[in-house]
Amino acid sequence: MAGAAARFDAAVTGIGMVTAAGIGTREAWETIVAAEGTAASRVPALAALPASAGCWIPGYDADEAIGRRKAWRYDRSSHFALTAAAEAVGDSGLDPAAWDGTRVAVVLGSGIGGAASWEKQHNVLLKDGPLSVSPLLIPMLAVNMSAGYVAMQHGAHGPNLVTATACASGTTAVGTARELLRQGVCDVVITGGTEACLIPSIVSGFAQMGALTGRQDDPRTASRPFDADRDGFVPAEGAAVLVLERAADARARGAHVYAHVSGYGASADAYHATAPDPEGTSAELALRAALDDAGLSPDTVQHVNAHGTSTPLNDAAESRLIRRVLGDRPAVTSVKGVVGHSLGAAGAIEAAVTALTLDRQLIPPTANLDRQDPRIELDVVAEKARAADVEAAVSNSFGFGGQNAVLALTRA
Amino acid sequence: MNDTYERVVRLLVRNFGFETGDVSPADTFSELELDSLALVELTLAVQQEFGVKLTDDDLGAQSTLEEAVKVIESKPVAA
Repeated sequence: MAGAAARFDAAVTGIGMVTAAGIGTREAWETIVAAEGTAASRVPALAALPASAGCWIPGYDADEAIGRRKAWRYDRSSHFALTAAAEAVGDSGLDPAAWDGTRVAVVLGSGIGGAASWEKQHNVLLKDGPLSVSPLLIPMLAVNMSAGYVAMQHGAHGPNLVTATACASGTTAVGTARELLRQGVCDVVITGGTEACLIPSIVSGFAQMGALTGRQDDPRTASRPFDADRDGFVPAEGAAVLVLERAADARARGAHVYAHVSGYGASADAYHATAPDPEGTSAELALRAALDDAGLSPDTVQHVNAHGTSTPLNDAAESRLIRRVLGDRPAVTSVKGVVGHSLGAAGAIEAAVTALTLDRQLIPPTANLDRQDPRIELDVVAEKARAADVEAAVSNSFGFGGQNAVLALTRA
Repeated sequence: MNDTYERVVRLLVRNFGFETGDVSPADTFSELELDSLALVELTLAVQQEFGVKLTDDDLGAQSTLEEAVKVIESKPVAA
């Protein structure tokens, strides 16, 4: 167990976001803080499905963001990663033209990968035969490619990988990125998560398992974490990227530090494909490991950025876990009420929002929380953002497969 | 240049992100930064556009657009 003296702080010095709440960190944060409802609408690509509501990003123009000559080569999930990474690196003040690229790592999370490109090319295969399939299918589809392309974009020659732990992928990525810094194998990590699979096959799969909201006629109120009338999640697309450096390095160059990633814990339920272990025993292991890693005692955690998917099972199990380990004192929020559930990007978006919360000392509210589930005995921030003195926060993520990942962040 | 050239340029604009003014008949695919994967993609697009069959080697990195047009025009249109 690491004590406070041995704590390793990774400084968040850059943030980039592409979400349904906004393209760019400033716009996304403002929409998340306003929390006037879910940024969801009917997704045209899903029009033929019974479940067509999603947090998609119609304003995103890959040709403009990436350049027309390159954009056609990449899946939409890589477009988002490249755009968020460019914003984050720019925001950090680091200069990729001047840095030692051999000391720059890329660790992104993605749950599914380039599924939209796969679905499109599968339709080509069925219609026109194997000789018509695009030679770019594999680099569009493969889940690792977003990290590869971000490395090409910024000349990052250090360790490069994509973590796949379903809906915890972005959190696993940030935690793993911090480990690389701690081990000293790099000096800078571009980390986060990306997802873009609001396509008929994937969304039908989620719908058939009963994970999605039934409020298809009213997408804006559909994602309602911790509400008594929640009935499933709203699928989303998006990305967030953070630039991490050792705290001393960030201080030495006078960088603005949003927050420190100070602890990380991970575990597996080893219980069921999609249902969380109702006892939450293993999720508790991950939460306690993150606290221990950060040298935090449970009673010092003032804020929880919850996984809070708006499914009946997750929110019930997660709230019991928070209550059991951290008590009823922390102010809890779920940004999925605004941005929906972007699977492998979700943990990264939430890590970014938690860092911004620590930076601004402002906790975004949970949208659509009209009547808190009486079984959820927590202080959930609702209606409007809450100014608060937050020194320590945790961000939970739980993935299908029973994969649990928790980050502990502290004020810089 | 002729109609075939114009149609190839339209493919480059529609599928590969070029502006019409970006390309000229003397440009090689290498100069246009179309790598081997992009040339396979272009081969598929040409086959569909012109109804001809190309081999993997018909459009090479060092081919100019003018040479590519001659190759396309030399191919019989599939029935």
